Amino acid sequence: MAKSRAFDVRRQSGFVFIALSCFVLLYLPIILLVVYSFNAGTSIAVWEGFSWQWYVSAWQNEKVQDATILSLIIATCASLVATTAAVMAALATTRTTKFRGSGLVFAMINQPLMIPEIVTAVALLIFFAMIKVATGYTGLWYLIIAHSAFCIPFAYMPIRARLQGMDLNLEQAAADLYGRPWRVFRRVTLPQLWPGVLAGAMLAFVISLDDVVITEFVKSAGQDTLPTYMLGQLRRVITPEINAISTVLLAISVALVVAFYILSQSKKQ
Amino acid sequence: MIEISGLTKTFGSGDSAFTALKDVNVTIAENEFFTLLGPSGCGKTTLLRSIAGFVDPTSGSLTINGDDILSKAPYDRPVNTVFQNYALFPHLTVAENIGFGLEMQDRPKAEVQSVVKEMLELVQMAPMADRMTSQISGGQQQRVALARALAPKPKVLLLDEPLSALDFKLRKEMQIELKRLQHETGITFVFVTHDQEEALTMSDRIAVMNGGRILQIGGPREIYDHPAERFVADFIGDTNFVSADLKSVEGDAAEVHLPSGQAIEARSVAGGPTSGAVTIAVRPEHATLTAPGALLDGTLKNIVYFGTDTHYHIETEARSTFVIRQQNQPDSAEDHKVGEPVGISFNPGVAQVLRD
Amino acid sequence: MSNETQSPHRRWLLLTPALTILTIAAAGPLLIVLVFSFLTPGDYGGVIWKFSADAWFNVFAERDFFDETVSFSDAHLSIFWRSVRLSLLTTIVAFLVGFPTAYFIATRRENRRNMWMLLIMVPFWTNLLIRTFAVMEIIRNEGVLNSVLIGLGLIDEPIQLLFTDFAVTLGMFYVYLPLMVLPIYASMERMDFSLVEAAYDLYASRWRVLRKVILPIVKPGVVAGSILVFIPSLGAYVTPRVLGGGKNLMMGNLIELQFGQGRNWPLGAALSITLLAVVMVALVFYVRSAGSEETPHG
Repeated sequence: MAKSRAFDVRRQSGFVFIALSCFVLLYLPIILLVVYSFNAGTSIAVWEGFSWQWYVSAWQNEKVQDATILSLIIATCASLVATTAAVMAALATTRTTKFRGSGLVFAMINQPLMIPEIVTAVALLIFFAMIKVATGYTGLWYLIIAHSAFCIPFAYMPIRARLQGMDLNLEQAAADLYGRPWRVFRRVTLPQLWPGVLAGAMLAFVISLDDVVITEFVKSAGQDTLPTYMLGQLRRVITPEINAISTVLLAISVALVVAFYILSQSKKQ
Repeated sequence: MIEISGLTKTFGSGDSAFTALKDVNVTIAENEFFTLLGPSGCGKTTLLRSIAGFVDPTSGSLTINGDDILSKAPYDRPVNTVFQNYALFPHLTVAENIGFGLEMQDRPKAEVQSVVKEMLELVQMAPMADRMTSQISGGQQQRVALARALAPKPKVLLLDEPLSALDFKLRKEMQIELKRLQHETGITFVFVTHDQEEALTMSDRIAVMNGGRILQIGGPREIYDHPAERFVADFIGDTNFVSADLKSVEGDAAEVHLPSGQAIEARSVAGGPTSGAVTIAVRPEHATLTAPGALLDGTLKNIVYFGTDTHYHIETEARSTFVIRQQNQPDSAEDHKVGEPVGISFNPGVAQVLRD
Repeated sequence: MSNETQSPHRRWLLLTPALTILTIAAAGPLLIVLVFSFLTPGDYGGVIWKFSADAWFNVFAERDFFDETVSFSDAHLSIFWRSVRLSLLTTIVAFLVGFPTAYFIATRRENRRNMWMLLIMVPFWTNLLIRTFAVMEIIRNEGVLNSVLIGLGLIDEPIQLLFTDFAVTLGMFYVYLPLMVLPIYASMERMDFSLVEAAYDLYASRWRVLRKVILPIVKPGVVAGSILVFIPSLGAYVTPRVLGGGKNLMMGNLIELQFGQGRNWPLGAALSITLLAVVMVALVFYVRSAGSEETPHG
């Protein structure tokens, strides 16, 4: 009490400054990008007043419309497929003793996180090219399957975490009370797993929506998603229209990720 | 009636194998309050979970009213469990929890409702019916878990240390409550605990377990007064162990010679030794402090006053400690002194010959 | 507690969908890449099904007495070297910034830490291309940075930042920084600060507490973070393409080139396998040093 300043064991000089700079650094480019999406002029460096015009022009751009629809279709399908597969895989691999092949299974599931995207992209290009030649099919399913694959580990993580935190006794109690496996799953397991499933689906959706590299290599002609469309545009003269599209995509991602965080932080009732 | 014979459970295999149950044989009667008592790791929970169906025994048989249940899944067995941590469904209300078993059995809605109502009243939880299970106290959760397990009217109710999470006062209340529920419902209770006092106060019969085996089965008095093995005598209550020489056995009665040379009648144990060096057990309250020249002599080392009784620690001539517990009389003065020579005596029949 | 109701039959049935998808669209095609690396390139992309080790030869070696491919092989090595160099640089800078940041977050009040971590992770989950693009907008010749510097009179004409190694490193640092902060923070949060108190009690200075107590304890997190930044940097494709332009290639761009303009699929396949091998070595190193420490996921 006599001492006005206690010795702070946690202090390290300069760390607070670096940390705060780090946050500024992380957000400054994004904030500028968002700000210039509202620029009235065509420049992305000189501010010429506020305007919605680039949002309007993006909205009216048919290519952007098509790419948006495609992005949403693929992200929806891929996240549904990936989440379903991830729930099943999580049920098989959590709360159980080590089994034969468990190492291999984990390596398989996490493999998209470990292997450079460009390598997978090239591999899929080659593989799907062979199938395209053999079958003549050039539809959307190549992209959906490819997206599902790399979304699986992202969907799997929160579902597995949720399952691991769940009390195994609850399912045993349900079985003890005459619940057959499928009914136990529906009435006890799934209701409690639900926040994890939702979180997993959101992550998968965001990951699919944001993918550039694999989509760029797998897509057939005319199958542009928003990110591949933007990548193509970056080679040309850049107008704030790109900023406007980016801002919308950012908003979707941020909303989903924040929702994901809130969900995964939520305690069991 | 539950008949268990030759039940063995081995976890793992090879060098890491662990035998949790070794050739367990026991018959539990209808309407009985049967307790499995033992320290943690003794196999009592494994035995309980074998009955429930969560552990698949390696060998042996298990029947309920003559039906072999080992081949049945947990949901096909006419038994319900009160789990140690209650395992109440956090996403369901109190009433929904209680009705869960009936719901799974596809009973008509009206029946479910009436049974739930009946159960809520039985455990005095009617006002809490629509609460979530996280919104009620530990003691209330305990009642809900009981009601949930009783609602489907199982043939056997299994209770896995259900009182261990409650505080002392609540535990005492629930002990009486459990006994009442068992009496009212007429269901066979199989109760697992490591608390010897709980076992003694509640049970019709107790099976004391250690190292995967049942060491002794009997009523509370029999287990306490006549422990068959050293482990049982030691685990339940306090005991003095005295080396003695067994001379002869005639039915229940055995003649033993104490180190002092004095002969005394002790109780023999079925399947125990018939002659030679043995250990006998004497409860502290069954012995009295006398003048030297008694059955055993020694030196008074310590006097500990406990309010209701006083403990005398005596070092015997065989250099082991013998404790005598004597009830205190009102306004009596302590007339013994530490260091003085004393004698120990006990009545014929209170000493128990132990199996090895 | 073991779950005895989990039968092997049920388990593999449940794993079937995930494993099937991953085999078709992730692991399986890698084997085809390996096969393709031993084939002969077709004239207009694709392959001719004829064995050839040329692609593998071209990955590393120079063939002095042939035509123009000579300079090409030379380029491979310099691109490999640039990839490794820029990735290492990215990792080091990310550590220098990420460690104090993780420390800062770990020393906040407990109920605030998640919020700070959310601030770190939100950019990570947003589109990588957009974040790269955001960096590009700032460092372009007519971008914000140059405009401000000119406006302040510090420079007369724009500094060429875009399409340089600096731009690529900055971009990779920017997009992968959260991967450094996350595992270091995870280790640090578990750290018992009474150890730090004990060290101060035993006459350690702040710097030595950092060196001798904190760093050794959070080392698994530092290793994890370094690997998590190094691996994607090494295989980066978008960031060097957008910020490096056509000249400052990294391995990812070199691979792409073989499937685009280069029309040499076997070489592209061989380069992919090479990149994969380097990444695997890094991963094995990580698994070894991390030991029982749980893998933090991005």
